[in-house]
Amino acid sequence: MSIFDIIGPVMVGPSSSHTAGAVRIGLVARRLLDEDIRSAEILLYGSFLATGKGHGTQKALVAGLLGMKPDDYRIPDSIKIAEERGMAVSFGEAALKEAHPNTAQIKLVGVTGKELEVIGESLGGSRINIAQIDGIETNFSGDNPTLIVHNLDQPGHVSEVTSMLAHKSVNVAAMQLYRSSRGGRAVMVVECDQEIPADGLKWLERIEGVLKVTYLGKNEGDK
Amino acid sequence: MTYNSIQEILDICQNNKIPFWRVVLETDMRERAVCETESFETMRKMYRAMCEADSNYDKSLKSESGMTGGDGEKLHIYNMSGKNLCGEYVSLAMEKAVKMSESNACMRRIVAAPTAGACGVIPAVLLSYQELYHTEENKMVEAMFVSAGIGNVIAMNAYIAGASGGCQAEIGSASAMAAGALAYLEGGSNRQMANAMSFALKNMLGLVCDPVCGLVEVPCVKRNSAGAVNAIASAQLAMAGIESAIKPDDVIDAMRRIGNSMPSELKETGQGGLAATESAEKIRKAIEL
Ligand code: SF4
Repeated sequence: MSIFDIIGPVMVGPSSSHTAGAVRIGLVARRLLDEDIRSAEILLYGSFLATGKGHGTQKALVAGLLGMKPDDYRIPDSIKIAEERGMAVSFGEAALKEAHPNTAQIKLVGVTGKELEVIGESLGGSRINIAQIDGIETNFSGDNPTLIVHNLDQPGHVSEVTSMLAHKSVNVAAMQLYRSSRGGRAVMVVECDQEIPADGLKWLERIEGVLKVTYLGKNEGDK
Repeated sequence: MTYNSIQEILDICQNNKIPFWRVVLETDMRERAVCETESFETMRKMYRAMCEADSNYDKSLKSESGMTGGDGEKLHIYNMSGKNLCGEYVSLAMEKAVKMSESNACMRRIVAAPTAGACGVIPAVLLSYQELYHTEENKMVEAMFVSAGIGNVIAMNAYIAGASGGCQAEIGSASAMAAGALAYLEGGSNRQMANAMSFALKNMLGLVCDPVCGLVEVPCVKRNSAGAVNAIASAQLAMAGIESAIKPDDVIDAMRRIGNSMPSELKETGQGGLAATESAEKIRKAIEL
């Protein structure tokens, strides 16, 4: 733990888990979609649902979806700003079972029609975990450059990804593999120490059997 | 050179003939692989963010629940009336603690120290001190390193979140961090800083986390002022040369054990203590969140 986890972060209150963590979940979801959002359906669970209103959890999630960081003073006005930018937002209850007490399920449609569903958990402090992408289990924080590859569950895809990374001199910090069923759809989540160059990502997208390549770069872009 | 306890910090100070704050700074430099300037300037940013949050207090703000807002201004008016009970420094610290904590509840930008719930304690003690005694900013930043070091040790060996260890872990830790920093500003020895920290934490042991409706508002805002006053009282005890019979690391360990035996109703769930009173029930119905 760094001393700036003790003194810091600079954040908009009132709660590091229900506000700052919620902003970060929204922000990671937006970066995963990688384009402006046309509509967002935000479903809350557990303590997010029970005490979210008083903690500004909804506003925080929307702020993140707009690309704001946890210290952005516009967070309290995020819902109005979303309206101004033409981003449709709706809220509801998440029908999840035995999820983490601070969970948000976010369904996004981007301006080009791209769709994404993310389940994010706020773990305390302002640390978060992305627990699901498009219905498949994952586990990552978004703190490191992260590559997410959806592919058909066939032999060879893991080595294609790792050899591309080796070729680009990118070191793997953690790697996880998930699949919906044998021979079905699989997801690879690769957390890296360095940024992955854009041409490496393009190359992956062209591989047969790779359905979707999502990349979360290090810099938390603000708009 | 790395520390896991207050005693280890004190030992490094003695062996290397360097001040407490420098042990914390040099450890940060190594752990994050940054140079001295970067570490020091990051802490200065935190201090300035606290100053900015303090001066941005808006007396007209109300929290979403309607439970919080305007009390910092009441304290300010009372202090200005010349009738205040507590003397200049303590009164100002209380005012700043309540203001910062209200700003947090009203979705303003604050610095978590160590948490958002306890964000008023350290700036209350430090900013008021600088305002009254015109201390150089560099010295204030050094004091911030002292408090960060204390908080770090507490986080390593016990808790800093109400949900994990009750309010003793949150306001209690903030108060201990502020007390050590204040003893430093007053020219206290390392031992006096450790004593100030010990007194502050001892005085807060057993404090439960029982926020009404689970929101960081009642009793949190006023507890920030109590944490600030307790920090000043504890530094005063230490500067007078009084010794803590219980060593700092033992106090931290006691806090951890007490936190472990606290039932979950008293750890931020909004189910026990003040949150389970008739008054709280009325508030809950009235705000219908
Ligand atoms: S009562 Fe709980 S939420 Fe409130 S300040 Fe204390 S620890 Fe934080």
